[in-house]
Amino acid sequence: MKKIILASALLGVLAFGSDQFAMSDADRAMYQEMLENNPADMDVAWGGELFEANIGSEEALAKFLGVKAEELAAYLSGFPRYIEKLGMVASQEQVLQGAMAEAGKKPLALKSKEMAAMGAYVKSLSNGLPISIDINANEQMKKAYAFGEEVFTQHRGGRGLSCMSCHAPAVIGSILRTQPLPDLGSEANKAAATWPAYRMTKSSMSTLQKRFQGCMENALLAVIPMGSPEMNALEVYVTHAAKGKEIAIPGLKR
Amino acid sequence: MQRRSFLKGIMMTGAAAAVVSPSLAFSAEAPKGPNAMDLDTAIKAITGGKSVSASAKVQLKAPEIAENGAVVPVSVTVDSPMSAEDHVKAIHIFATKNSNVRCADVMLTPANGKASFSTRVKLGTSQDVMALVVTSKGEFLSAAQNVKVTIGGCG
Amino acid sequence: MATKSLVKIKPKTYKVGDVVEVSLMVMHPMETGLRKDKETGNLIPAHYINDVKFSFNGTPFTTIKSWESLSTNPVYTVSYKVSGEGEIKVAFTDTKGDANENGTKIKPKA
Ligand code: HEC
Repeated sequence: MKKIILASALLGVLAFGSDQFAMSDADRAMYQEMLENNPADMDVAWGGELFEANIGSEEALAKFLGVKAEELAAYLSGFPRYIEKLGMVASQEQVLQGAMAEAGKKPLALKSKEMAAMGAYVKSLSNGLPISIDINANEQMKKAYAFGEEVFTQHRGGRGLSCMSCHAPAVIGSILRTQPLPDLGSEANKAAATWPAYRMTKSSMSTLQKRFQGCMENALLAVIPMGSPEMNALEVYVTHAAKGKEIAIPGLKR
Repeated sequence: MQRRSFLKGIMMTGAAAAVVSPSLAFSAEAPKGPNAMDLDTAIKAITGGKSVSASAKVQLKAPEIAENGAVVPVSVTVDSPMSAEDHVKAIHIFATKNSNVRCADVMLTPANGKASFSTRVKLGTSQDVMALVVTSKGEFLSAAQNVKVTIGGCG
Repeated sequence: MATKSLVKIKPKTYKVGDVVEVSLMVMHPMETGLRKDKETGNLIPAHYINDVKFSFNGTPFTTIKSWESLSTNPVYTVSYKVSGEGEIKVAFTDTKGDANENGTKIKPKA
């Protein structure tokens, strides 16, 4: 009931079934082709250099995570995970911070360009593999998922919107100021499998948590800090929505 | 399937030039950058006033609707043997309503094997994107495609 | 700090005589000179890549003059007919005179 009321709060700005801005298949194909020369490839290449300088090697990261080097890519496809060493459900970037700290280095800030690049590189090691997050792996993950769902559906801010107000099955595909509302788990968007991504409107690469923050700003929800339990829980929730989808980093988004 | 909208005004015969002018007058209100140059002037600088013919040999691909004016993919392919005697010497790309219409001047050689160039351009408003091709035989060929921009690229 | 760039060949494998696509991508603001600095309100001066040269084993095969209308972090893709083993180099310069070079090896399959 509540959901219906809130969806109608959005009704004023949504245009349903509008094909005024619908792209043709040929247009879509052109944007798809742009993935072959994604400017974020440069960030990923830089991230590889930063990874070498800050963490050393895949072996070193595997050792920090307590997995075999040859299993690293598959293991990384399952983030966010509960990491005992860190005592929390952690994003991949937080694991990189942990690995840096263990190596006696000052960890890069989560919101730094450097961390975004390094994180994108590490995430790209799982390219081609399906997202393998397991929300039933342990109590911590179960809790994180439930908390993530709560954050995703909680109405906040000046307009009383939640993430769900715009990313629910009932409104997906309708147009908000020329932009179709995306289904975060669908093959077409598979958000968790395609971020970090190059944002054409920003002319730079951005991470999934930064993208969340973008939506919070646009929808007048107080912005949740990166790496906080709320943010990580949200990442768990959104990642689970795209479970099984093939990882393809970096993505290319409007 | 004819996606290309051949520009009416660009077949630089004297009469056609007159067709271009109203839209140029229109864009005169837009801010001018350091390299501001209109389409007429840019084409004349290349052709020396010789006539340009719209040609099916020139394939220009650009989206009909751009997701975002800041990043509009444009690709040009020209049907040419690329031999020493018969090849494309240059592909010029114009954004016909930008303050400086010139985007890229690409000088090719037979070593390219194929006459092609692709890039991404910024479009301030909806407009035609045009390719002007110069062949080793001294021909000037063109193709154009209209691109609708929902959000401008100069924000 | 050198300007970041990447040179790519498509497809990954090719023979002598094949035509491949060579792409240069550069991290560059491609400032138009029309944009205002949000804080000061002053126009940001134009700053863009204006010259790109593709060569194979030292012989240029494509030269490009580019302008501020290319997108931020621009991409330049041209064709190249593989003539043998060697190296493609791409040199690029911007309007501030910052000159850079990147390249990739060409290794045709027998
Ligand atoms: C007012 C409506 C609205 C609200 C509320 C909203 N979003 Fe969005 N979201 C959008 C739109 C529209 C897009 C697509 C924008 C575009 O294409 O640039 C989007 C895109 C996204 C994407 C990127 C999808 C992709 O293609 O990969 C993610 C992730 C996302 N939102 C997450 C969230 C989260 C998490 C929240 C809650 C904090 C939220 N959104 C709240 C409208 C909304």
